[in-house]
Amino acid sequence: MDTKSLTRTILALLAWTIGWAAMVGLEGRLDLANLAMLLVLTSALSALWLPGWTSMVVSAVAVLAFNWFFVPPKFAFTVDLHQNALLLVALLLVNWIIAGLVIRQRRLAEAARTVAAREARLRQWGDTLRDASDPAAHASALSTALQEATGSVVAVSVLRALGRQPDNAAALQVGEPDNEQRVGLALCVRDGRAMGAGSGRYDELPDAYLPLRGRGVTLGAALITGLARHPQGHELRPHLQALCDQMGSALHRSLMAAQEQQARDQAQLQATRNALLAAISHDYRTPLATIMGAASALQEQGERMDGAQRQRLAAGIVEESERLARLTDNTLQLARLDAPTVQLRCDWESAEEIVGAVLRRARRRPEGARVHAWVEPDLPLLWCDAMLVSQLLDNLLDNGLKYSPADALVELHATRDAEHLVLAVSDRGPGIAPAWREKVFEVFQRGDAGPSEFPADAGRGAGVGLAVCRAIARAHQGELLLRPRAEGGCRFECRLPLSGEGPPPQSAPAAPEPLP
Amino acid sequence: MSRRILLVEDDRVLRSALREALSIEGYALGTAASLADARAQLQHAPPGEAIDLVLLDLGLPDGDGQALLAELRRVSNTPVIVISAREAEGQKIRLLDEGADDYLVKPFGIGELLARMRVALRRRGRTSEPALLHYRHGPLAVDLKNRRVRRADADVHLTPTEYALLARLVRQAGQVVTHRQLLADVWGAEHTEQTHYLRLYMGQLRAKLEADSADPQHLLTEPGVGYRLAEPDAID
Repeated sequence: MDTKSLTRTILALLAWTIGWAAMVGLEGRLDLANLAMLLVLTSALSALWLPGWTSMVVSAVAVLAFNWFFVPPKFAFTVDLHQNALLLVALLLVNWIIAGLVIRQRRLAEAARTVAAREARLRQWGDTLRDASDPAAHASALSTALQEATGSVVAVSVLRALGRQPDNAAALQVGEPDNEQRVGLALCVRDGRAMGAGSGRYDELPDAYLPLRGRGVTLGAALITGLARHPQGHELRPHLQALCDQMGSALHRSLMAAQEQQARDQAQLQATRNALLAAISHDYRTPLATIMGAASALQEQGERMDGAQRQRLAAGIVEESERLARLTDNTLQLARLDAPTVQLRCDWESAEEIVGAVLRRARRRPEGARVHAWVEPDLPLLWCDAMLVSQLLDNLLDNGLKYSPADALVELHATRDAEHLVLAVSDRGPGIAPAWREKVFEVFQRGDAGPSEFPADAGRGAGVGLAVCRAIARAHQGELLLRPRAEGGCRFECRLPLSGEGPPPQSAPAAPEPLP
Repeated sequence: MSRRILLVEDDRVLRSALREALSIEGYALGTAASLADARAQLQHAPPGEAIDLVLLDLGLPDGDGQALLAELRRVSNTPVIVISAREAEGQKIRLLDEGADDYLVKPFGIGELLARMRVALRRRGRTSEPALLHYRHGPLAVDLKNRRVRRADADVHLTPTEYALLARLVRQAGQVVTHRQLLADVWGAEHTEQTHYLRLYMGQLRAKLEADSADPQHLLTEPGVGYRLAEPDAID
């Protein structure tokens, strides 16, 4: 017995005590009918507090006791006068009617409360789902809500994408259904119709399966165990289905939104890719045109040319082929660095060695003599992918040589700045207009916006070059910056952190024994 | 007598371009477009006309050239230069460690190919040729027999480890030697991951042997792969 019904019983007892005390006290002064009114009053009051049937029994007992104590002949159940018998019967009936009315009233109030609670639950559920970015994550909330509504064990299975089955690994499962129940959930999702207890399909099952329905699709199912045995199973069903459907349409909305987003991303990616392909094709065409022209000239007019002419054409072919090779390397590297799973082949590397290798490659080119390199002595080792860092420097040198006057130096410096290694390539070219200083790092942005910014013939070449350089720097948690030089030209500065992977090993043992 | 070269390459145009270029240099060139073809030519070469050097492409219609390299290394030390469009450094190192003499990434210039071929042929092609005991490149001279290193006709003092490293590079002058090979031969097989040893000792060697250690002329770095001692001027 809980405290609430205890209080009610005490109140009822109190009412009866006061009622009887009043009747006993007033017996001599009031006639029997007035005492009977007191009894009716007391009985009505106690009916407010006592449970329905108890109240009926109590009032019947009270009428008998009234007969015993007050109706002449006293202390006997016999009744002298007819009108007294009528009075007792009327008393009993009135008391019962009151008790009956109270019972009915209570039931109505109870029903209203249930309806209100369900409405509140639905409303709250709707709010939860409306604010949810990923309703699939709310499957456990749905399971809790269903559990609250029914008091039974519940399992929920939610699809992660349109058009998949819940036995697929992509489905989200809450609760612990057994194998048979799992199959039931899958079947319910497939058919998109309720089944199990009271649904008209597989009625003999003890459990109920409710689909989570979106617009025209079913995106999951909920299992409510033992709904067949639930006392209000039948009335609960529409409420449960409403909860499930809210979840279903929220799922549908979010999946549609995700699909739209994906389609938009795809379209954007496609557009970027198309721009990239167009730009690549354009960049390839220029060196190809030179090669084609020179090679076909050699083929068709070679016999009429002197040795020097042929040599010049062949040199052009070689040079442009090298340009094509660099372009291909850069394009490949950009694609590689763009992949989410890019793996660097890092090792402890010496800046001096990287600079030396880059310099040697640059020296093979006719204009390579213009490069001047300087490496600060005693630089610490750098944890990096040597191939990538040398490709970065190759590109920066290529850029510097291309965009500076034919007699100006291009400087490559490796220095230390606190916790960074700074690899800088400076040239004496025309510099880069402020508006272009960020844009040059974007894929296939070349400074061909106007003759004032770049020499007329400088628009050719490494469209991807600087984008690759920046991607390489960033893959090493570093940065590539462009700084204008006060005296003209620009300086590309690649800053790489020296504390990449713990302190670099600085000591090496002597070899165990010299070679014979 | 001209050296016999086997070119294993499936691209017809590249094959014929290389044939022209190599025959001008006086090489006798046989070509194979597939692994099976190459195997047949290697096995059935007439006596006295054995292949002196193999130029091996990797992506062949009937398999990977790497398989042929492994088979060849089991029975002979015929020099193999891998020519491939693949740029994966990991693979380059693996091939070198598995016995390839050198590795050229397409596209390459004919000058570079000829230089690599010259080095590979000199080193292993003819057993009758003596091992390289005197290395000379510009002002740098190394005399393995007397353990002497000279730069611009002045003796250079090297520590035993520095000398061991240099001598290992001299043994394969002109060819790339991987980090792993150098570490195994100089420090021992258990040190093959300690590439920072190399960085430090190579730095010391450059400081002693190069005019400008940022712009080395003798001790060349192949980023991510290994080191190469510049091809010697001439054989003493």
